[in-house]
Amino acid sequence: MKVVRIVVQIAILYVFYMVGTWIVEQTGLPLPGSIIGLILLSICLHMKWLNVKAIKEGAGFLIGVMTIFFIPATVGIVEYPELLSGAGAKLIIAVMVSTIFAIYTTGLFSQYIERKTKKEEQL
Amino acid sequence: MIVTISVITVTVVMFIAMTKLHHRFPTPILLPIVTTTVASVVVLVAFNISYDTYMQGGQWLQKMLGPAVVALAYPLYNQRELVKKYRTAILSSIVFAMVSGLVSVYVLTLLMRLDEDWILTALPKSLTTPVAMQVSESIGGIPPLTAVLVMVAGFVGAIIGPLIIKYGKIESAIARGVAIGSASHGVGLTCLQDYGEKELSVGSLAMGMSAVTGAFICPLFVYFFF
Repeated sequence: MKVVRIVVQIAILYVFYMVGTWIVEQTGLPLPGSIIGLILLSICLHMKWLNVKAIKEGAGFLIGVMTIFFIPATVGIVEYPELLSGAGAKLIIAVMVSTIFAIYTTGLFSQYIERKTKKEEQL
Repeated sequence: MIVTISVITVTVVMFIAMTKLHHRFPTPILLPIVTTTVASVVVLVAFNISYDTYMQGGQWLQKMLGPAVVALAYPLYNQRELVKKYRTAILSSIVFAMVSGLVSVYVLTLLMRLDEDWILTALPKSLTTPVAMQVSESIGGIPPLTAVLVMVAGFVGAIIGPLIIKYGKIESAIARGVAIGSASHGVGLTCLQDYGEKELSVGSLAMGMSAVTGAFICPLFVYFFF
């Protein structure tokens, strides 16, 4: 029974994804259909048009095994041996440095905003 | 048909085995996404199987990325009280992280004189993989390459993140969660388990929220700078 429920709930999530894709096709929005689907589902949950129970188990299952869905894409790296070249190494270094920079600056920024908000609350 | 079923079966079996391996030895190097990818590549190369042949089965797994991203609405909905309470700090920091990551990687790749399609490929690196790949596709990058760079960003967060927190004196739980979650998504989040539940929940929230904001900001950034 649980399996059936999960399958049905995944089908519901798939419908949101298809509607999202359809909206992107119709409007030419520069966004992935899945994100539109995510926003639509969030609205439906928030407005109580859809009970969270209707997707709870399907969503939990999909998120739990999500990693496997990216495998075909990451395996696609066999098509890009140039990543092992000098330019590929540069690209990787750029991503590493940028990530370190983003973590540090965001940490400082967030801490600053939080302290500021707390001070305002005290006043 | 036989190819399709074999690819899916072999991938699922490998994934389950690699997940078990990671449970036994929980180091970031043994994350199932890394080990399953490496094992798959080795099989393809060893048996001289082309990527096109592999994708006859692989495409079915990839199709599930869409609904999986939609499913992220569920944890976001669960944590709505937390967002409400810290909305100013969390939201402004997520946008800040996005811009900080985009500008820095853009400047670095420009200085390195990399080709434009490679620069575009690197821009969505801080987003969670399925979103990053879809954004990469929509802005003219190379999605599989983006997936690799997303993993690089994730590993930097998981392995170097704790050092940045320590030596950068990032002492607030929200700041730690938001910084790691929005710059290095789910893989980076694994390091937050050592800090506490607050860091972890803010981190997963930041990951989800930055996927949404990044999907808006990345194409806008490309629109203005390319």
